[in-house]
Amino acid sequence: MTLLTVNKLSKSYDGKNVVKDVSFEFHNGKCIALIGPNGAGKTTILRTLAGLLKPSAGTIQFSNMKEKDDIRKYIGYLPQYPVFYTWMTGMEFMIYSGRLSYLSEAEAKKRAETLLEKVGIIDAKDRKIGKYSGGMKQRLGIAQAIIHKPKLLMLDEPVSSLDPIGRREVLTLMKELKEEMTILFSTHILSDAEEVSDELLLLNKGEIVESGSMVELRKKYQTSIIKLEFQGDLAKYQEPINALASVANSSIERDVLQVSVSDIAEARQEILTYVLKEGCPLTSFTLDRASLEDMFMKVVTG
Amino acid sequence: MQWMALFRKEITEYWRNKKWIWVPLVFILLAIIDPVSNYYLPQILESVGGLPDGTVIELPDFAPAEVVMMSLGQLSSLGVLVITLMSMATIAGERRSGVSELILVKPVAYRNYITAKWAALLALVWASLLIGMLASWYYINILYGELSLHSILLVIIFYGFWLTLVVSVSIFYNTLFKTPGIVAFLTIATIILMSIVTQIFSHVLVWSPNNLTMYLMEMVQTGSISSDLVWTAIVTIIISIGLLIAAIIALKKKELAN
Amino acid sequence: MQEIIETINWAIVTPILIIQAILIIVALIDLTKAESTNGPKWMWFFIILLVNTIGPIIYFIFGRSRD
Repeated sequence: MTLLTVNKLSKSYDGKNVVKDVSFEFHNGKCIALIGPNGAGKTTILRTLAGLLKPSAGTIQFSNMKEKDDIRKYIGYLPQYPVFYTWMTGMEFMIYSGRLSYLSEAEAKKRAETLLEKVGIIDAKDRKIGKYSGGMKQRLGIAQAIIHKPKLLMLDEPVSSLDPIGRREVLTLMKELKEEMTILFSTHILSDAEEVSDELLLLNKGEIVESGSMVELRKKYQTSIIKLEFQGDLAKYQEPINALASVANSSIERDVLQVSVSDIAEARQEILTYVLKEGCPLTSFTLDRASLEDMFMKVVTG
Repeated sequence: MQWMALFRKEITEYWRNKKWIWVPLVFILLAIIDPVSNYYLPQILESVGGLPDGTVIELPDFAPAEVVMMSLGQLSSLGVLVITLMSMATIAGERRSGVSELILVKPVAYRNYITAKWAALLALVWASLLIGMLASWYYINILYGELSLHSILLVIIFYGFWLTLVVSVSIFYNTLFKTPGIVAFLTIATIILMSIVTQIFSHVLVWSPNNLTMYLMEMVQTGSISSDLVWTAIVTIIISIGLLIAAIIALKKKELAN
Repeated sequence: MQEIIETINWAIVTPILIIQAILIIVALIDLTKAESTNGPKWMWFFIILLVNTIGPIIYFIFGRSRD
């Protein structure tokens, strides 16, 4: 079921387009990664969806939302660098967040306890937020964003400022949360996206350059590579192999000749035939697959 | 209720950052400094010395009404400055630091956000005014002669409308600008400008809020509330509410992040 | 006569002294508890103690770091 439809969303500052004609749809219960290099417009998109910024053009439509309904009831949002009232305790901030989202005092309190427990900072609930560590603040940030059970949780670079342990913990938490709600998060690190998300939106210079489910994209960008090693000088084998019909291109990296091919079975046949015919001193023959990372780099660097 | 949650947060914050202690104390000091120092002025001058022997220092005996005006004079200058400085970050500071990015993505009605902050500031300012002027009243009764509780309470109520306007101006600029310093500067500048305009067009702007203290003085002296005083108070309240509505509209139209 | 003047003096002066003392004490407590201030803490310590009356007020307005 569609949760949210974004149609031709644009955002410009002083005539400069930060987000250009972006359209996409989210389905319930998915985890979507908004991925792209720094400055691609990820934060701007999230802030616009959260209602903090007004779109220059385009529409954002939640399904099943009444005409004059407040969009903010259905979303939870955590900015990249969340700032809290440092004079409040974690518990006080949670209850305050709940009260602002129309929970009763008792409901807010109950929910706050549950969530602080869930994100693992229940022991620090009566400590001033000013004394929290970065990882604790991030977890409090997630907890306050979901106090009103939003349909869509948006997290801006939720793990990028954390150390490896904090990162691990937050990613695990996200995996748990995506069972309960749709999550949209931005990141510039592909491995984080690969780990938790079902879908990818690849953003560059304010435009969506690629999108789809993880499975689809993996298939689409899967090019095969054959790695060859020879005794002696590699260079003299590169040209004849390049000339083979099934070979797209090749490059030499260190002592390995990397050959990208379109059809692996055919290429294997051709290359081995060539090697036998010429009697080349082949020492290693390896099949390899390009990762999504390569695709990411390729799309982003154009 | 969402409004109460916002209001209670402000009141709690004022406790934690000690505003509930220092603002009333500062108002007391401001309200009593002139009554006390004027009373001791002859002795002070004498002890400082430098006057030729035999100089007789003759100072007018101040009537209680005049001394009340001295207290209000201090509140109108330094008191207004204190209100401006302590309120300059109430919204601007939250937007600058980024807390508002967490608060205003919640389904918070902008009118609640602004009126709760306004009401909390007013609670603090009115309480400080009340306690400050009662202190002044205490000194007036000891040092200058009797002034009825009734008239001092009327002074507090009417003068409170003027401070309400100051708070409203500050709230208004708080929604327009993110830098607390600019908010404070424009608040003060606006009040000064209003007073200049009132003086230049005094024949037309009879009910300008800046004339409130003038009519208050008449009230204390004559003991009766003039219709000019009432109308000035009404104009002051209307302008305050107008500023508040403008602030709500401004915040709605604002982009709340960069 | 002498006695009367003395009693009146106390009624006048004591409240002022008490208010000043409270302001200084509250400001100092706040300063020691504060995690950070705008500018060095020792500077605020001296401002609160040495600048008569307005020292604590300046600290409350400008010294406390916000948020």
